[in-house]
Amino acid sequence: MSALAFTNLGMLAALVALPVIWYFLRLMPPKPRLERFPPTRLLVEIPRKEEEPARSPWWLTALRLALAAAVILALAGPVFKPTAEVAPGKGPLLIVVDNGWAAAPHWQGVLATARRIVDLAAAADRPVALLATAEPPNQSLAPTDADSIRHRLDALAPRPWPARYADLAPALRQAAEQTAFGGSAWLSDGLGGDDVDAFAGTLAAAVNGPIVAYADTAGELVALKPPVNGPDALTVPLLRRPSPSPADAIVRASDIKGRTIDETPVHLAAGTRTGAAKITLPIELRNQIVRLEVVGADSAGAVQLLDDRWRRRRIGLLSGASVESAEPLLSPLYYIARAVQPFADVRQPHDANVAVAVPELIQAGASVIAMADIGNLTPNVEEQVAGWVRNGGVLVRFAGPRLAAATDALVPVMLRHGDRVLGGSMSWETPQPLASFSPDSPFADLTVPSDVLVKRQVLAEPDGTLAERTWAALADGTPLVTAAPSGKGWLILFHVTADTSWSNLPLSGTFVEMLRRIIDFSSSVAHGGDSAEASRPIAPYRLLDGYGRFVAAGPEAEPIVGDVAKIAPGPAHPPGLYGSEDGFRALNLIGDKADLAAFAPPRTADVSVRAYPTAAPVVLAPWLIALAVILLAVDALAVLWLGGALRWWRRAPAVAALALIVAGAVLAPRSARADEASDQFALNAVDKTHLAYVVTGDDAVDQVSRAGLYGLSRVLTRRTALEPGDPIGVDPAKDELVFFPLIYWAITPDSPMPAPATMARIDAYMRNGGSVLFDTRDQLERSTSFNSLSGTPALARLRDMLSGLDVPPLEPVPADHVLTKAFYLLNDFPGRYAGGPLWVEATESQQRADRPVQAGDGVSTILITENDFAGAWAMDKQGNYLFPTVPTDPLQREMAFRAGINIVMYTLTGNYKADQVHVPALLERLGQ
Amino acid sequence: MDRATAAKGALVEAKGIAAGLPDLLIEARRVSTTVLAGWHGRRTAGRGETFWQFRPFTPGEAAAAIDWRRSARDDHLYVREKEWEAAHTVWLWADLSASMDFRSRLAPVGKRDRALVLMLALAEALAGAGERIGLPGVTNPIMARDAAERLATFLPEAAKRPALPDVHPLRRFSDLVLIGDFLDPIDRLEAVLDSIVRAGVRAHLVQVLDPIEETFSYAGRTEFLDPETGLRHVVSRAEQYRDEYRARLAALRDRLATLCRLIDWTFLIHRTDRPPTEPLLALYARLADRHNSLGFYAAGRAA
Repeated sequence: MSALAFTNLGMLAALVALPVIWYFLRLMPPKPRLERFPPTRLLVEIPRKEEEPARSPWWLTALRLALAAAVILALAGPVFKPTAEVAPGKGPLLIVVDNGWAAAPHWQGVLATARRIVDLAAAADRPVALLATAEPPNQSLAPTDADSIRHRLDALAPRPWPARYADLAPALRQAAEQTAFGGSAWLSDGLGGDDVDAFAGTLAAAVNGPIVAYADTAGELVALKPPVNGPDALTVPLLRRPSPSPADAIVRASDIKGRTIDETPVHLAAGTRTGAAKITLPIELRNQIVRLEVVGADSAGAVQLLDDRWRRRRIGLLSGASVESAEPLLSPLYYIARAVQPFADVRQPHDANVAVAVPELIQAGASVIAMADIGNLTPNVEEQVAGWVRNGGVLVRFAGPRLAAATDALVPVMLRHGDRVLGGSMSWETPQPLASFSPDSPFADLTVPSDVLVKRQVLAEPDGTLAERTWAALADGTPLVTAAPSGKGWLILFHVTADTSWSNLPLSGTFVEMLRRIIDFSSSVAHGGDSAEASRPIAPYRLLDGYGRFVAAGPEAEPIVGDVAKIAPGPAHPPGLYGSEDGFRALNLIGDKADLAAFAPPRTADVSVRAYPTAAPVVLAPWLIALAVILLAVDALAVLWLGGALRWWRRAPAVAALALIVAGAVLAPRSARADEASDQFALNAVDKTHLAYVVTGDDAVDQVSRAGLYGLSRVLTRRTALEPGDPIGVDPAKDELVFFPLIYWAITPDSPMPAPATMARIDAYMRNGGSVLFDTRDQLERSTSFNSLSGTPALARLRDMLSGLDVPPLEPVPADHVLTKAFYLLNDFPGRYAGGPLWVEATESQQRADRPVQAGDGVSTILITENDFAGAWAMDKQGNYLFPTVPTDPLQREMAFRAGINIVMYTLTGNYKADQVHVPALLERLGQ
Repeated sequence: MDRATAAKGALVEAKGIAAGLPDLLIEARRVSTTVLAGWHGRRTAGRGETFWQFRPFTPGEAAAAIDWRRSARDDHLYVREKEWEAAHTVWLWADLSASMDFRSRLAPVGKRDRALVLMLALAEALAGAGERIGLPGVTNPIMARDAAERLATFLPEAAKRPALPDVHPLRRFSDLVLIGDFLDPIDRLEAVLDSIVRAGVRAHLVQVLDPIEETFSYAGRTEFLDPETGLRHVVSRAEQYRDEYRARLAALRDRLATLCRLIDWTFLIHRTDRPPTEPLLALYARLADRHNSLGFYAAGRAA
């Protein structure tokens, strides 16, 4: 089959027309733009610049030819890599879709193949029947039209259980009696086996025609088998179909909340079918693992869920001693707890009373109960413990004085009363070392430590069973540890104490290992045999879907009753977690004995097997149409360009530069932009001398300030040598202030309080020689003849603002202050209002009669007025005043301007004018 | 194109001009008032309507010349003299042919509108100064305050005339202001100008051009259509012709300017994207200069 096919081959004949199109296109020049142009005569006189081609440029012709060819090819309906599926046979077609878990990884491919087969059947006008093998047998197998089959395909999803071939065989046979299927396509999930063979036979019998099976035998199909929680690692077996190629997989372990705990890579060598992931983690982490999955496998088979069966054991501790907690090193339970803590959940009852403590431990689900030196249990407690042991509990007892005195029945061997003292002052015998571990015991693989010495022990009555019940023995053959089964459980006795009074065993590492082996051993003891638990149904908690994802339980899922391990997953019991978050049982799809066989041509039937097509056919027509549209657009642009309509193109560099600048501005990091903004601010501020005002945030006030300074700037330009630029509004919190000799600050009573950092900047500005002109603009509100800095809200606000600053002593401008002479000779400083004083820094009191002017060495850093200077200066661009003065007096406005000029001159020139008064004297001295 | 269609087209065009006239008149008046100030009469006694001075009665004069009201105030007889208001004749002509009916995207107004504004503004200003103004071949010189309006009434008639005026009514010592684009073939142009020279008339040429006619900012494949002759010319790369075109236009202007300089005429160039007061002021200065120089010339001859 060729890579390219055409649905409408006849259209290709139209390609013959291309040369004709080419011929005409060559002859058709693009239409010129018509321009009326009176001096055309002058143009006519100019000799021709070039021999005008009466034809289109070659590239335009090529473009248009390509356009025509693209349209023709698109109409011919080209298909790249046409469909590889077939709809076998004639008459009604039976499509069998395996939607078991194994189909999940390549489910989209299965669906796509199924749809294409349905399309083929529909094209051939054949009725189609659909059989989904993981669905119940009551599905409809009557052939219908393609549309309803498509709908059923849409609704189909991979199921988290295997295909149920055996259940479906009767339904298939029954359908075959009603419909004569003329062919069948079987979309296998790639698994083989005896049931597949049997089903193939049934299918062959039911279909009177060829059967084509699609099977993905090459792809990796990985499953996880139940893990084994070993002492040092959680070993997860991997299983795959026989495959000649190596494979790598990653096994991910996650907890109940879906958080990943570990990811372990696994390498499957070529030809091998199994592998194992060893998850080596501290046991605390291992015990949190609820879910193991092969990353990317996307099937329920590649997921194993873990429940308590894989958890560490819970060990309950009981002691006969009365004082336990006060002196921990003397408590036997201390050593046990420390030894088992890394791998077991230690549970100590709240109540020291054994009669209460034992039921509590049993209730808590302890799998091991350790009793330290408890000799006799009360009969009812003993009965409870005995029943618990028979149900699978492991009772570990440690000897001690009490046990040596009297024992109950819950010991593995008969004990002699009294203990044996080795190496004491009354004994000839030396302390005995540990000599051997029984090979039948859980301790079999432990090495015998040389440093364990036993000084005292309880002795067993020797009988025929003692040897086989001995797990560990001393050098003289006396038992150290004995054990005996009782029902499903075990009784284990350490013949020494759990503390160090009888031996140094609790101090050795061997003690830890022994306890660990016992606890591991307890987990291999049959679990879940509790009759009460077995009879209780467990509701589905979180179930898996075919892809191995957790989903909410559907209505078909039923609670499980009895031992989870004996339940086969199926529609009634999908794999997943049953129970609740606190306690659940895991039902897994893949069991210990599962095997994955590759799909093979069945021996029982004549079935031709194909691989799933890996790529869908690509219909090229839309792409060709798109190409034609693009070519059309290019052609239009080219014609426009030839016609000279793209004049703006000449400005393209500028446009591109602008776009680059804009893009740069947008893309540049914020800090860079902030820097740029502040740089721009600085550039704007230093090109000329600017008057500045503080932006208070109140728009009306700021506009008046701006207009006022604008008016003052104009007047300054007209009357003085200073030609200030446009006034600049500054935000003292952000903007650099050093550029401005004078900052006008209109105070409003409701202006927000500047932050301390802002006032610190103001302070620094004033210290560096800047002047701030505060204007409370409230002379009118002032109570009459109350001539001090108090009284109005704005003043109060100003005082609050300045409270944090190092404000020098202030005084109203004295009559001999340099401010009164800086440019004009002034007596007072009116603004919109007259009468308010102008406060400046008090000059040092060094008045001398012969000095006409007090020269403050510097310029007053702070000037405070209430006369609303800006209101008097405010002027629009035409030079019209914005506000009348109060009272309306042109002279007052003039004086206000003079005051402003004096203030600006004062801030700029300092005490220059103060020195100028000496000029006559200097001139006189020079003799002129 | 048969004659009826042509006549109809001209009529429609003339009506278009006439419809635009009130606006143009107002525009012309606005433009002229900005340049009118400072131009006065002859500053010498003579025939006129406005009072100039009283002078003592010379025996032999007609008694009717005595101003009795003034003479009654003392023992002498006085004659009321009036200012000499000898009117000068200025012929105005604006080229209203089809080539002037052009406005490119670069210009705010069309060439013809601008030419009319210039002509009417000049007429307004000259009429205000008491000059006789006329449209050669269309109307005799008019001396009236509302001469501009009256000229305007003749404009639809003038629109049917060729680009260059009829030289027959022109007499010596008059001025002729020619406003047009002067894009006609140079030979024909020179022939007409030659006949104007022969009539003893001093002419002032104002070449009104659209900016695009100067800059030739065309590009790409363009078909140019001469609206006057219907000439069509297709070029594939208009931008390649720009320099050559500009050179040719400059050469044409140079030739006209040289010609004018030789025969003591003036030549002005005006682009329609410039304000109309510019050429008007220049024209005014040249007309006034002409009078001054005439005056000196006359004085010199008298001496």
